[in-house]
Amino acid sequence: LSLPQFRLLRPRTVDEAVSFLSKHANNVRVLAGGTDLIPSMRQKLFEPEYVLDLRSVAEIRGIRQQTSGAVEIGALTALSAIEKSPYLRQHFPVLAESAATVASPVLRNMGTLGGNICLDTRCLWYNQSLTWRKGCGFCIKKDGNICHVAPGGTKCWAAFSGDTPPALLCLNAEIEIASPDRTRRIPLQEFYTGDGVNYRRLLPTELVTRVFLPAESADYSGVYRKLRVRGSIDYPLAGVAVVMKRSNGHIADARIAMTAVNPAPVLVQKAGELLVGKSIDESLAEAAGDIAARTAKPLTTSALTPEYRREMIRVFTKRAVLAAANN
Amino acid sequence: MSSDFSIIGKPTAMVDAAEKTTGAGKYTDDLSVPGMLVGKILHSPYPHARIKSIDTSRAEALGGVVAVAIGKDAPNPYGILPVGHDEYPLALDKVRYVGDNVACVVAVSEAIAEKALELVDVEYELLPAYFDPEESMKAQTDLIHDNKPHNLEKDYHHAFGDPDKGFADADHIAEARFIANEVTHAAMEPHSTLSSFELDPHTGKLGRLTVWSSTQVPYYLQHKLSLVLEMPMAQIRVIKPLVGGGFGGKSEVIPLEIIAAIAARKAQAPVKITYTREEVFWAHRGRPRTVIDLKTGIKNDGSITCVKARVVQDGGAYCSYGVVTILYSGALLGALYDIPNIQYDGYRVLTNKPACGAMRGHGTVNVRFAFESQLDELAEKIGMDPAEIRQRNLLKPPCITVNGLRVQSYGLPECIEKTVERSGWKQRKGKLPKGRGLGIACSHYVSGAANSIIRSDMPHSTVNIKIDRDGGVVVYTGASEIGQGSDTMTAQVAAEVLGCSLARVRVIAADTDLTPIDIGSYSSRVTFMAGNATSRSAEDVKKRIAAAAAKKMNCAAEELVFRDDVVFKKGSAPPSVKKDSDEEVEVTQAGASVSGRVEGQILRGSLQQKRKEEGPKEWMTFEEAVVAAIDFHGALTGTGSYAPPPEARGGRHKGGGVGPSPAYSYSAQVAEVSVDEDTGEVTVHKVWAAHDCGRALNPVSVEGQIIGSVWMGMGQALTEEMVWKDGMLMNAGMLEYRSPSSVESPEVEPIIVESIDPEGPFGAKECSEGSLAATIPAISNAIYDAVGVRLHESPFTPERVLAALRAKRKDKALNLTEGVDPTAPVRFREHGGSLCFKGKGPERHALDPARRESPAVAGGAD
Repeated sequence: LSLPQFRLLRPRTVDEAVSFLSKHANNVRVLAGGTDLIPSMRQKLFEPEYVLDLRSVAEIRGIRQQTSGAVEIGALTALSAIEKSPYLRQHFPVLAESAATVASPVLRNMGTLGGNICLDTRCLWYNQSLTWRKGCGFCIKKDGNICHVAPGGTKCWAAFSGDTPPALLCLNAEIEIASPDRTRRIPLQEFYTGDGVNYRRLLPTELVTRVFLPAESADYSGVYRKLRVRGSIDYPLAGVAVVMKRSNGHIADARIAMTAVNPAPVLVQKAGELLVGKSIDESLAEAAGDIAARTAKPLTTSALTPEYRREMIRVFTKRAVLAAANN
Repeated sequence: MSSDFSIIGKPTAMVDAAEKTTGAGKYTDDLSVPGMLVGKILHSPYPHARIKSIDTSRAEALGGVVAVAIGKDAPNPYGILPVGHDEYPLALDKVRYVGDNVACVVAVSEAIAEKALELVDVEYELLPAYFDPEESMKAQTDLIHDNKPHNLEKDYHHAFGDPDKGFADADHIAEARFIANEVTHAAMEPHSTLSSFELDPHTGKLGRLTVWSSTQVPYYLQHKLSLVLEMPMAQIRVIKPLVGGGFGGKSEVIPLEIIAAIAARKAQAPVKITYTREEVFWAHRGRPRTVIDLKTGIKNDGSITCVKARVVQDGGAYCSYGVVTILYSGALLGALYDIPNIQYDGYRVLTNKPACGAMRGHGTVNVRFAFESQLDELAEKIGMDPAEIRQRNLLKPPCITVNGLRVQSYGLPECIEKTVERSGWKQRKGKLPKGRGLGIACSHYVSGAANSIIRSDMPHSTVNIKIDRDGGVVVYTGASEIGQGSDTMTAQVAAEVLGCSLARVRVIAADTDLTPIDIGSYSSRVTFMAGNATSRSAEDVKKRIAAAAAKKMNCAAEELVFRDDVVFKKGSAPPSVKKDSDEEVEVTQAGASVSGRVEGQILRGSLQQKRKEEGPKEWMTFEEAVVAAIDFHGALTGTGSYAPPPEARGGRHKGGGVGPSPAYSYSAQVAEVSVDEDTGEVTVHKVWAAHDCGRALNPVSVEGQIIGSVWMGMGQALTEEMVWKDGMLMNAGMLEYRSPSSVESPEVEPIIVESIDPEGPFGAKECSEGSLAATIPAISNAIYDAVGVRLHESPFTPERVLAALRAKRKDKALNLTEGVDPTAPVRFREHGGSLCFKGKGPERHALDPARRESPAVAGGAD
């Protein structure tokens, strides 16, 4: 399959990047690692006139510890750098672990944290070639008005399939968004809409530039569990991140988030709250799993049946809670 | 390995290893010729439709488009089997699956060709489509092929021995339905073909055609091209460059191979077409989804009294190798164990999906999964160890099985013995921690089919050898190197027979202008048949060298020994000889075993002449002997060919031509797995795989083939499955098709067993396919050992395993797999026996069986 023709824009600074964005808004796609964009362009899911290649924007690459204990991570930081960072592994283990499960080692060298946060939602009826989609009938997410997953529905259920966002949600991460007029900072939780088409709150002129991990989130024990058919390469079919902090034998604070079973990564507030003030045992972990499974809404967007994936949210949540408690 | 040989039996690097590992080697897609254009194929979006009209004018008007070929440009049917000429390179009046070939755009670039595809206007009239074989067999109207009533490609009904009596004699009978879902080859290299016509010097019109193609069967391709293009075969040259794996997916003529030639003819320019990965999935020819109703009877002592199998294969829209596949499925019930009575009913059914064909372990794999699983069930019934029940039912060769298969060499007993020993079966079976288990299974395969698919008396393989004064040996063989080691095997056999070093041998292979006919690389036939032909060809030329050398050495030709680049008299020590100068020239290097770094070529020019004038000798170098022979005979060439002996060609019953082979390989495997009882995930920790390959000509290559077979079998056992929804292939890519990655690949311990076949080259048999089939039941049996659930459907995905575990525990009923239960067949079939896709399907005919009311949305209610 050929790549559609496009013009390549190669900014060197964030300012330059956002000015390109505002100049070509609606006709430009952003390339950070390109691991998702390039195959999608070959499938003609995107045929932009311009591709904005961020790879020379050095200022948003790298991990910076602040004296407060907070951490700033540039959106262009490679997933392999996060996976291997001794500091993150020690103080924010859930993020390092989730980054380590993305795709394969080669793809993690290219793929970035910002790209994983902004990852397009996925669906078996959408991530197909133009020929395939034409044969099947175009869907809501691209060029059509029907949904193959939820017949008669008007909402797109394509699943958000990034691995790092549930970890980041658990850590109460914030992201910095730059545009020509201003730079704003929002909690990551507010970034996602829950709709498969417009899955993130980001204007065409805006760019995700940095991720902030608050100092208060440091040193939580954390675990990420990912359901996939193969031990490598695969996107998550369900994923659960759990963080918790103990004091005096019981849980002082806990958060649970999941991915790949809804059009957005979801912080399962009630499941986390359930654990607070208690000591973890098998049945409590199971109860948390039940809440998570009820919140999950897996559909036929991915391999394996929705029923099974929901079950695995239950099992993986339980296991992650127990594992985090034992860390 | 044996020290009787200087070349074979030693681990030898592949002759093309350096090219492949450095990237210097050229595969078809790497090639280009001046003026070459790009071809892109337009595929059908519908599973079954009549073509009312095709208008190519808008596409042709696009700048950069040179031509658009359609069905009318070459309206001749073809097919790999003489009984199955049901394909057209480009659809004439009907399309029969999503992905069927409709038109081919030739343009100056891929991007322009892709754009032009959007501009070809095709008007279709939709027809009801058939996706499930059982439904398809009920069809009265709108048949997929008009000459195939009930959409039945072929059915066979065989009874050998007395099946009724066999079951009456049995003390225990097991009966069950097994389902093996559809898998494909997923070779690394996508299919690619480059076609180029030469101008005829007399007429100035298009003349000879040269085709470079990623094929396992250059000769068949030449034959089919000649049929479709209406050109004499002599005007067509097929060249096979490096091929990046075939596994059967390139063992017949794939549409693009003919389309490229039609397109080149129409565009009057060379055209290259390379499939996208999606197109590779549509071209398919993989292993069909197979439903096996199997019944086996045994006596209390474990001996098998009877096997009855009803096998239905979902063959897709065209015949392909289908008739052969359905016959193999029945025939290869025999020749592994001693089974006195066999009843077989096989149905190859047409459906509106890509055609299935030959795939590694052709025809035997799915039935073997069922059989070996059922044998374990029966062993449990009588309280016998699974390894022992297999040992109870061994054949006693030489023999002819009840269904007419001749078995001579038979290494199965040793295979079982060795895997049992190495895996610690007796000490560990049943004693592993909870959730961990061991399973055993056996399998076998043909070393080439004894009967060619094209009915003729021609030899199956012919090899020519030419040796010139430089002492270089050139072997011309039609056998196709597809990564399996064909060229290396050829070089080894030639060098061993001629007693020369491997470095002297150059193999020219698979070029129909240069090399004699070989019917191709499939059915694991190359080592046995082309190996024998090479050996005979080398003997032929050696005879001539020996005659000349004997003259020089004053002895009889029969007294001469050719070894390590020296010709010497039997009985005398191989000389390590002083030469005229003080310098000691070591003629032999006993230790040299790795190709590419070898002695030879040491006597040249004046030295050669001097030795020649010296008069009678005790010994001669290979080069001297060659020169003597050329002085004596003129050009030094030899030829040899191989055809299977008549006694190996099988029974006389209808369909009895498929299954017979001059020799069978044998395999026994033990798999160790663990099962996560909460998630249903299966991990394979280790597989011990013993394979009887007759004689291992190149042990490292044999081991590679065993490991590869096990790995591929594991893919089918655990993860790989083609998933369908209303004729749409849901996972036509390597991301979603999910062949195992290195992470979940277990350690495989290959164990070579050498039974030394009386007719194989140096006793060799096949080693590339026979091991695959055992892996699936070995894993299945290990899962049973680990957690006590018997899986009847492959692949054993986590949800299928978990559903079985839940059913066993009688836990809260959870529909995890949507219709795996054979008691809910309609639901099951609707989704192609696979994961559920309950959504609204694509546009289909009103009478299309796929158009049923969809149930509620999944995952909604809790």
